[in-house]
Amino acid sequence: MNREKLPSTQSFCGRTRREFLWQTGGGFTGTALAGMLETDGFLTRQATAADGKTPFVNPLAPRPPQRVAQAKSVIFLFMYGGPSHIDTFDYKPTMKGMDNKTVSVKTFGRGGRRNQGRIVEPRWNFQQYGDCGKWVSDLFPHLSTCVDDITFLHSMTADSPIHGSAMLMMNSGKIISGSPCLGSWVNYGLGTVNQNLPGFVVMLDPRGGPISGAKNWSSGYMPAVYQATVMRSKGNAILNLAPPQGMSISVQRKLLDTLREYNVKHRLQRIENSNLAARIASYELAYKMQEHAPEAVDLASETAETRRLYGLDQPKTSIVARQCLLARRLVERGVRFVQVYSGGNHGDSNWDAHADLKTNHDMHAAETDQPIAALLKDLKRRGLLDETLVVWGGEFGRQPTAEYARGTGRDHNSYGFTMWMAGGGLPGGTSIGETDELGSAAITEPLHVKHLHATILHKMGIDPNGLTYFYAGLDHKLVGVEGAEPITQLL
Amino acid sequence: MTAPFHSLRLLALFALLACCDTTQLAAATQAAEQAFFRKEVVPLLAKRCFKCHGGKQVKGGLRLTNRAAILKGGESGPSVNLEHFQESLLWNAVTYQELEMPPAGKLTAGELAILRRWLSTGLAWDQSAVDAASVQPDSPPVDALARQFWSFQPVQRPALPKLASTPWSENPIDRYVMARLTAAGLTPAPPADPATLLRRIHYDLTGLPPSPEQVERFLAAPSPKAYEGVIDELLASEHYGERWARHWLDLVRYAESNSYERDGPKPNVWRFRDYVIRAFNQDMPYDQFILEQLAGDELPGRTADQLIATGYHRLGIWQDEPVDRKQELYEDIDDLVRTTSEVFLGLRIGCARCHDHKLDPIPQRDYYRFAAFFSGINRYGIRGADTVARFSLRDIASDEQRKQQQVAIAAHAKEVQQVNRQISDLEKLVYDDFSPVEKENFRDESLKLQIVKKRTGKQITKAQFQQYSDYKEQQKKLKRFKPPALDQALCITEIGNQPRQMHVLMRGNAHAPGDTVEPGFPEVLSFDDPTIPETTKNAKTSGRRLALARWIIRKDNPLTARVMANRIWQHHFGRGLVRSPNDFGYSGSRPTHPQLLDWLAAELVAGKWRLKRLHKLILLSRTYQMSSRDTPAHRAQDPGNNLLWRFEMRRLSAEELRDSILSVAGNLNLKKYGPSIFPLIDQEVLAGQSVPGSHWRPSTAKEQARRSIYIHTKRSLIVPLIAAFDGAETDNSCPLRFATTQPTQALETLNGQFLNRQAATFANTVRKQGKQAQEQVQFALWRGLQRPPQLDEVQRGVRLLQTLSKQYELSADKALEYFCLLVLNMNEFVYLD
Repeated sequence: MNREKLPSTQSFCGRTRREFLWQTGGGFTGTALAGMLETDGFLTRQATAADGKTPFVNPLAPRPPQRVAQAKSVIFLFMYGGPSHIDTFDYKPTMKGMDNKTVSVKTFGRGGRRNQGRIVEPRWNFQQYGDCGKWVSDLFPHLSTCVDDITFLHSMTADSPIHGSAMLMMNSGKIISGSPCLGSWVNYGLGTVNQNLPGFVVMLDPRGGPISGAKNWSSGYMPAVYQATVMRSKGNAILNLAPPQGMSISVQRKLLDTLREYNVKHRLQRIENSNLAARIASYELAYKMQEHAPEAVDLASETAETRRLYGLDQPKTSIVARQCLLARRLVERGVRFVQVYSGGNHGDSNWDAHADLKTNHDMHAAETDQPIAALLKDLKRRGLLDETLVVWGGEFGRQPTAEYARGTGRDHNSYGFTMWMAGGGLPGGTSIGETDELGSAAITEPLHVKHLHATILHKMGIDPNGLTYFYAGLDHKLVGVEGAEPITQLL
Repeated sequence: MTAPFHSLRLLALFALLACCDTTQLAAATQAAEQAFFRKEVVPLLAKRCFKCHGGKQVKGGLRLTNRAAILKGGESGPSVNLEHFQESLLWNAVTYQELEMPPAGKLTAGELAILRRWLSTGLAWDQSAVDAASVQPDSPPVDALARQFWSFQPVQRPALPKLASTPWSENPIDRYVMARLTAAGLTPAPPADPATLLRRIHYDLTGLPPSPEQVERFLAAPSPKAYEGVIDELLASEHYGERWARHWLDLVRYAESNSYERDGPKPNVWRFRDYVIRAFNQDMPYDQFILEQLAGDELPGRTADQLIATGYHRLGIWQDEPVDRKQELYEDIDDLVRTTSEVFLGLRIGCARCHDHKLDPIPQRDYYRFAAFFSGINRYGIRGADTVARFSLRDIASDEQRKQQQVAIAAHAKEVQQVNRQISDLEKLVYDDFSPVEKENFRDESLKLQIVKKRTGKQITKAQFQQYSDYKEQQKKLKRFKPPALDQALCITEIGNQPRQMHVLMRGNAHAPGDTVEPGFPEVLSFDDPTIPETTKNAKTSGRRLALARWIIRKDNPLTARVMANRIWQHHFGRGLVRSPNDFGYSGSRPTHPQLLDWLAAELVAGKWRLKRLHKLILLSRTYQMSSRDTPAHRAQDPGNNLLWRFEMRRLSAEELRDSILSVAGNLNLKKYGPSIFPLIDQEVLAGQSVPGSHWRPSTAKEQARRSIYIHTKRSLIVPLIAAFDGAETDNSCPLRFATTQPTQALETLNGQFLNRQAATFANTVRKQGKQAQEQVQFALWRGLQRPPQLDEVQRGVRLLQTLSKQYELSADKALEYFCLLVLNMNEFVYLD
């Protein structure tokens, strides 16, 4: 029945290997299969579990990157709601004095498409900083001192100016719900070097999560092992990390030992079933996580100077300070992907400045400026900045014109906005791309979210066009079926 | 890379010394270079260059798949200088002196060495080698050969394999399995022991563990007849529907919210879930089940249930704030094309949305002809609840209910009128006394009582005020308790009897319509285009979906019965005979037992599409009753157990696990049907919502203890235990569950609130069985493992209880609670043999 000219299954998607795994596992058992199957070192991942005896096939076991990696970890500082680029890092001197003037400009936001609007002049002054002479607004007195370490991407574009879909795009590369997030792809491609901590961590704004909630850190069609673990900056860091109230660690250890005895006996007659062994080992790993994760989030060992640097001592900055400091501690301990949300919930609880631009951005900038600057400085002085890629930005930017007849509120803008990156071997002190003189749209070297994603994967040593996941008859990629190249200037 | 390089050079040198004939020398060199080209250069070019410089369209105008084209070069001029290779643009590009190719990363030194040799020795070439390496798989043609593909052939009941002289079993299923085992020199595993078999079949058919009584009864006399009795009993149990409906809900991307920013609940969607459970319990013929879901609304004399069934179309994600409204309609249609073609036909027609299918003989035109069946649909809504009601909700009340409701509404209105009159009469007595500010405030319902109260003993008596207060209370109640609205179904509706004209959309873009198309079936299946009956003037739909459904259920449709028979097999054995249950195309797996699959498909149709009959056929086979124990020699020969020499162990699904915990703890509430339940979710998890806790109000403890199929499935807030144990992915059809093992699962089942609460209940249940540790452990293990525990297992538990109370000074109650928690964490509890 097989026709001669059928596409060779091996050549298209490494299906034979996949089938092998399906068949041996009786289903997909969570063993990651990257597109680079020939180099995935399947056998070397049969590590031994914490108890030193039980072999454990861990889907998150570290895998060597496909090429030399410049970064080992990513810290994605997500400015949820969409910060205004022309009020922060995208200097538009010609807008000075144009406040309230009506101009022709194409915009598209939650208020629909418009062809003209009333200019809202940037509300903050800009000054030049660093050796590179970067213009930065007065919103960021601390971050402005780091510009020589930062690469600005001024010509970002996205497919949607609506929060729900734009968030999904920034996190998963698609405006349609159901795909794995960037952090899932990174862990799928590289595994994690510290088995006692999750490989993909999300920290949320105490005011609430972003809209669409867990969809923003979901592993989509990949197994749940690749989704993010939400880490809280207060109380129990990870859900269910501590034994229930009243159960001491030693009692728990005793229970685990007895459980293990039962499981070992059960396994005797099923010795060939590696899933049973893996499950035995998973309890030992969980036990070790309980021990190690609290240490990772315990800031007691940080010096007073470090705490001050981040702004841990001031009410305004203390939350983001804690999260940034935790982010540093996590990447130090080998966590691959940390995402910190500044802003949550709805309205002015995040950067979504529809009403009063000044109040909104003053508040969110003040909360984040010092902690983020401290993170860059702290990473740098510890020699970690070179191997950590820090990414800053929202799901889109904001329009140059007013949303309403009165007031300074700006609607969403996905035609052009600014993000920045630092570390991971990036030169710093550079800016790529430009928007027009109003900041309404990217005009030189327009960049799409998928280029950002491709660059991040590339920096992590992953070929963005080679990392694939077979699902629903297709080899899926974070950067889409047509692929995307990393931003050339950053290679 | 350098080794072959040197040896080939030496070879060339040797040739030079040996013959000293320039022609021969040239020929030898050329052959060596060509070999080198084939062996080293072609794979390198294919890997690093052809993606941009080898396809239909090439970047920068440079094509590297043809020698002349290389010499001609692209937009930047000739790419190779044959005289001085180091002046070649190509060389400069790959050495990153200019252009920097490939942009994704510089070639390795080894790779550069290959190119250096190739460029410096005259650009050897072998077109056939290049063609073989550079050909992207072209879309397979729809031709006679394609039509011969196994799954596109009509199902023909195959002949039964001959029986051996001492047959294993006469059951046709066993004969097919045995034939392949024998041919491979393998033998089937012995029968599973009775306790294992009972546990297997209970989970398989109901998703619940057998009770200790059921185990005792069966183990007392485990005959084949008793086994058959259990099958009949379980197939008749309503829990059968609750288990098997879950498989179907996975397939049809069942969830109860819309995803995206608001992720709002889908009104009345639970009726669809109930419909599916009932359909399985009533053993609705599968062809009828298909008709009702795809086109229940278009069936003559349709019933309320048939309308509910069309909720099938409304289960997907809904973007209520699309970037591009026109495109979004086609996203919705795409959801239906993909789900329908994968679920009912095992075809991935969705892959042909932007271009001809790369792997299957499905041209892009086929996609849009299939999409045309759905081109009349209303979207789920536009934005807001009123639009959802307009497009997706319809009354399903009977005339009787309608009449009753009218009576109730009239009675309610009358009562409201009376109360209002009494109130206004009393208010008249005091109103004139109000100050202007009071008159203003009196508009506010919450202030009325206190304003009137001030007049007590003046314009009105104390008794009158009491009356007023009572009437106001009554008024409030009447407002709150209106006669219940009529039952509604979440269902499909269309724009009218004239659907939209469907076009082929270039690259899937709604703004780039190409040729018009009419509804039609995939060309490779060779059916005539449907004739869709003329609709009446007043018809509310086009009748297209009914035409599609009627084609899907045709007995000569080669896919429908095969795909469903495979799913039935899949859920009994853990995997299908075709491993890719939603893909029976070229890129799907071939069946491990093609004849068996066809026999099952033929039986399904011959049995009037009834599933329970097919279940029983399978469950009575010896193949199903085999032990899962290993035979190393067999495993060495067939490690994947493709030939079915033993039964496959499996982990419980997320729902089975949660239901088992509740059941074993003695806490499971077996209430069936109705609106969904909301289990308690930890604050830590709710914190991920933009408004923590929104659309999630925990049900009463009793309701929370219901089976997992009744849990409200909110796309952005999956119950953690379900998510951790690989519940279905909700945004697309989910034909196959993962079964991962991760430490976070252990944290959930050791430390999580749900498990610990259930362990406490379990301990209470156990305590009722006896006071002695021995009895308690014995019972807890019985209950948890559904088999009589062995002595050493009981002793181990007793020792633990003793240690916990003596060494760790825990109370006997607490110690037992922890032991119960341990039982719920055992491998044997979570895995089935």
